[in-house]
Amino acid sequence: MRPSLALALALLSLAAVAAPAAAQEGNALSPRIVDEAAVPGVMAKAVDAFIIPGYRGLAEATTVLAEATAAFCEAPSAANLEAARSAFSGTVESWSAIEIIRLGPALEQNRFERFLFYPDRKGTGLKQVQAILARREESATSAGRLKAKSVAVQGLGALEYVLYGTGAETLSGKDGDFRCRYGRAISENLKAIAGELLSEWEKPDGIQAAWKKPGPGNPLFRDSKEAATELLGVLVHGVEMVKDQRLRPFYAGAIDGRRDKGHPRLAIYWRSVDTMPSISANFRALQKLFNAAGMESLLPAGSGSIAGSINFLFKVLIGAAERIDGPIDAALADEGQRKTLDFIALNTADLTDRLNRDFGGAIGLGAGFSFSDGD
Amino acid sequence: MGGAFLPTPIMGNRMSTRTLIDRRSFVRMAGAAWVATLQPRGASALARTDAVFASAFMAPDGSYGVATVTEEGEIVARTQLPARAHGMAFSPQSRRTVAFARRPGTYAMILSTDGAAEPVVITAVEGRHFFGHGCFSADGRLLYATENDFAGNRGMIGVYDGSRGFARIGEFPTYGIGPHDMTLAADGRTLAIANGGIETHPDFGRTKLNLDHMEPSLTLVDTATGTLIEKHTLPSELRRLSTRHVDIGADGRIWFACQYEGARNDLPPLVGHFARGEALSFVALPERTTAALANYVGAIAVNRREGLVGLTSPKGNVAVTLDAATGEVLKEEAVAEAAGVAAAEHGFAVSAYDGRFKERRSAVAWDQHIIRIAGAE
Repeated sequence: MRPSLALALALLSLAAVAAPAAAQEGNALSPRIVDEAAVPGVMAKAVDAFIIPGYRGLAEATTVLAEATAAFCEAPSAANLEAARSAFSGTVESWSAIEIIRLGPALEQNRFERFLFYPDRKGTGLKQVQAILARREESATSAGRLKAKSVAVQGLGALEYVLYGTGAETLSGKDGDFRCRYGRAISENLKAIAGELLSEWEKPDGIQAAWKKPGPGNPLFRDSKEAATELLGVLVHGVEMVKDQRLRPFYAGAIDGRRDKGHPRLAIYWRSVDTMPSISANFRALQKLFNAAGMESLLPAGSGSIAGSINFLFKVLIGAAERIDGPIDAALADEGQRKTLDFIALNTADLTDRLNRDFGGAIGLGAGFSFSDGD
Repeated sequence: MGGAFLPTPIMGNRMSTRTLIDRRSFVRMAGAAWVATLQPRGASALARTDAVFASAFMAPDGSYGVATVTEEGEIVARTQLPARAHGMAFSPQSRRTVAFARRPGTYAMILSTDGAAEPVVITAVEGRHFFGHGCFSADGRLLYATENDFAGNRGMIGVYDGSRGFARIGEFPTYGIGPHDMTLAADGRTLAIANGGIETHPDFGRTKLNLDHMEPSLTLVDTATGTLIEKHTLPSELRRLSTRHVDIGADGRIWFACQYEGARNDLPPLVGHFARGEALSFVALPERTTAALANYVGAIAVNRREGLVGLTSPKGNVAVTLDAATGEVLKEEAVAEAAGVAAAEHGFAVSAYDGRFKERRSAVAWDQHIIRIAGAE
């Protein structure tokens, strides 16, 4: 099932015939042509300056986490609990800086869901974690056996409950032994997953090679347009994720004229007060990818203002997310903070549009680059 | 026949349905506004005698709509839609055209093509969303829609009664996951359903959740009883071949087209056909054609009068015509961002995201599907 060079050339000639004819029309919707020469460099920078450093950061954060939880279980104390909790928040931050890469190795072997199971539909995951704690299931205290269990009991959500949920006060004493060892196994599991993600991306002939050299024979992208579509897709889907999957569950804005009172317990990481730090890390990661990959260089001359507006929106979104601090229930009770959440929701919608339509259209991905996405 | 499909009780899921409910209230508002804009004159304009096709589109300002189009590709009339639509259905009996919201959408708009009735907006019930396709019963009274029971991760067919304002009168399973397109078989009572095999959940938007264990299948389901007649799964080496669109040949054969989620440099089969009681047959396309289609067929249509099968690929920028009898490639035409395909007087009408529709070009981005609402066939 491998293509020959001849048919690859046939495909190229087809594309060459198709594109210029459409570009001549001068209509606002007519596709420009993707800058073939610029795309491989942008893809390479996305890998080398964002993805691999991101996974390296995650590998380091989870190593610190595994060490901190191990030290805590060895010598339970308020100070060591604090160190473990701080390492947890560090891991959340590192994960939030790379979770937008929801493709390739992150999709294989359920790594993404094992690392972060969210949203927890119907609280199923929480019940499973509580059952492990109630029954003191020894099999959950070894990372090797934990990995075969439900994706909901081996990731960040489970560890957050261990460190902050009901009964976490026992952790510093002798009664907390099982709970601590379960937390240690989760930490080791997270470290293992982070290590796999990093090594998959670091393999010179693995996914990074496919990202850096689009073309015939490439298992992911036959041409630069397909590669650029994937990369811009990370940004668009990342912004949509923050808006629809992270903000909306706990604050839906105004519906039918009434402002949502909010659902703080549906917020991701509400127990550890990492909700807004995670969201702001998501925005920073998206902006970093946009700039570190040099995506602006894909724009035709004279269209630089599109990148300028995108960077401006990132800046105001990061600023707004950082202005909301403290527990999310307190933020939701505060009229001013809820207005800031409205502001974030409004601007994420605008940002999606600018990336999808303005930027996608300008770099030659057609009328809404994701128009054909999987239908 | 409504009694055969009593809706099963749906367990509430606060978090995921919240999002859907919010979207529904949006659709309610937007839908009402949309209906208000559609004056009787506008409604009758849809029915102008030269209107032959209907297709959804995106306007240059990012708004969405549905338009009727002449045999030459010229827009006859257009109406706004509250959100992006995808697949269409038409019943010559009831003269109604439906535009389904793109997955994971929650609305469908039913237009009266002869202007005799007000447009109807239906919204997905709690625990379900639309997948973007559907079809009418042979008598035009019932509308079937592919839907996602996302808590149960199973495909469903929602049944809506046109004689009761398109009230949802029941549902039955598609016997697969991720159903997409479907069509009424030649016997007038069997649905041929393409279960794409990809798990999605509105909590995760359009994210494909099971690419490493997809379960594509084609099923035949009896509309009278909701029971499975037969199910065709794909061999394990084609597990990543998502069966997504279907049409019926002149001889009643069911033609299906696929989108491949596996390695980009594989050359999987992309189109095939089967009849009841028969195994699936794939068309052995030349490698050149498979590569040109970019492992992604966006739409399929059969020209039953001329014995032709039309395929389009927006990823491959190509429209392909096959001989339905032999599977031979008769024509391979470069069409930038080729979107929809429907049987035309001769051959096929092909549309594109860049605004082309046959030989004409309009300032819209045509969506993925075209339905024929008048003329030959």
